[in-house]
Amino acid sequence: MKKTGLVLTMLGAALAATACGPAKEDETKRTKLYVFAAASMTETLQELEKKYEAKNKDTDLVFNFDSSGTLKTQIENGAKCDVFISAAQKQMNGLADQNLVKTETRFDFLENKVSLVVPEGNPKHILDFGNMCNRLQAKEDGFILAMGNDDVPVGQYTQKILTSFGVMQKTGDVYSFVDPDVEDHHVSYCGNVKLVAAAVQESSVSCGVVYRTDAFSNHLVELTQATEEMCGRVVYPAALISKTKQETLGKKYLEYLKSEEATKVFEKVGFVALANN
Amino acid sequence: MNFFPLWNSLRIAAISSVVVFFVGIFFAYYISKLPRWIKGIIDVIFTLPLVLPPTVCGYLLLLVFGLKHPVGQFLDSIGVSFIMTWQGGILAAVVVAFPLMYRAARAAFESFDENLAMAGRTLGLSNTYIFWRIRIPACQSGIIAGIVLAFARALGEYGATSMLIGYMPGETATISTTVYNLWSTNRSQEALIWVLINIGLSAIMLLSVNLIENRGRRKKVA
Repeated sequence: MKKTGLVLTMLGAALAATACGPAKEDETKRTKLYVFAAASMTETLQELEKKYEAKNKDTDLVFNFDSSGTLKTQIENGAKCDVFISAAQKQMNGLADQNLVKTETRFDFLENKVSLVVPEGNPKHILDFGNMCNRLQAKEDGFILAMGNDDVPVGQYTQKILTSFGVMQKTGDVYSFVDPDVEDHHVSYCGNVKLVAAAVQESSVSCGVVYRTDAFSNHLVELTQATEEMCGRVVYPAALISKTKQETLGKKYLEYLKSEEATKVFEKVGFVALANN
Repeated sequence: MNFFPLWNSLRIAAISSVVVFFVGIFFAYYISKLPRWIKGIIDVIFTLPLVLPPTVCGYLLLLVFGLKHPVGQFLDSIGVSFIMTWQGGILAAVVVAFPLMYRAARAAFESFDENLAMAGRTLGLSNTYIFWRIRIPACQSGIIAGIVLAFARALGEYGATSMLIGYMPGETATISTTVYNLWSTNRSQEALIWVLINIGLSAIMLLSVNLIENRGRRKKVA
């Protein structure tokens, strides 16, 4: 009995401590702006967060970083979101078709490139996309490619690359492996681009396909970049969500993302800004 | 439909249960004989994986067995790899399931009546015989509970497993990682099939435990 009482008291104290935690006075006046952004934007948007909040004391940016496919599903399910930045047009189009985004606020924001990355020292001595695809087709023992799954933009770009080398095929809208054994034994699927980067960084896989900005931010060994012929252009659209109650704040934030200050941060890691002011 | 994840989950859970059974009993037996203060410390260490988030276990396992780290590199050089292989699933499952077996067995051993062992000794029985034929049978119900919990935990392991062995459809996929992958790629229907399979498996397991327990009770009455 005594013990239970003690435990309960401690629990109570812990709860009380979190409840009246570090609530600064000026923070109570800040309005939260919910930004759902592609996982590949994690570092850059976080870097800009401090700069933006220093200039706009009325706004508290709240980020949710994940694969654009997951974010799209969350928005469809009614998640609280004001701004959406997708790593591909497909997810943004999907939301636009359901009238979930304010089309008039939508713009092509950044351009990125898709990169082939390998663990430190390139243990499997991979040369380029062609070499990687040959070895996948040869089902080389212990050869593993980490790629985003087919709901993740970087996974969809990877599918296009693999198709251009004949490892995958496209029937209608559906991509599939020509030889199912390759998928079963030589592909590791990841839920977003950062998980691909983590698998490569950890040397768990032979190689992975990420964006060049992730290769830069995560200090990965980049072998080569995919050409437009392999996977098309990689364009990030941004827009406000229809249900947002913070239209003014949201628009102001989108404008800021086009500013020179923001552009510098994006270009430092390898993005190309498409909508400069 | 490809049933590889079912087969893979079952072999990982079965093998790790066997490993956990022996390792758990071994440590439970020897630690219950140690002085109290050492027992307290070791107890905390051995129970940690039970209360830690599986991702923390996964991180620590990668720190040891990852291919960027000495132990992992050494094992890899002699042809043993726990990274992106189904054997890695056993490692993850053993680590998270071990505390369940260990604690159940220890509790059982501690309530064991030492007079029974001494009686055996006066009859000239060897320690091994006493252990396997007197101590273990007397502690049967606690040990069975431990194995069942360990098997269930191993079957449901997700966090450390996905960090260690990822999701390779025909190589490392388990039921739990398959459900997550199918759900996250908008294939809810297929995910549902695996959810039902998992519920069925767990129900069968619990049912068989009840049957075993009932049989045990009837024996005792008779």
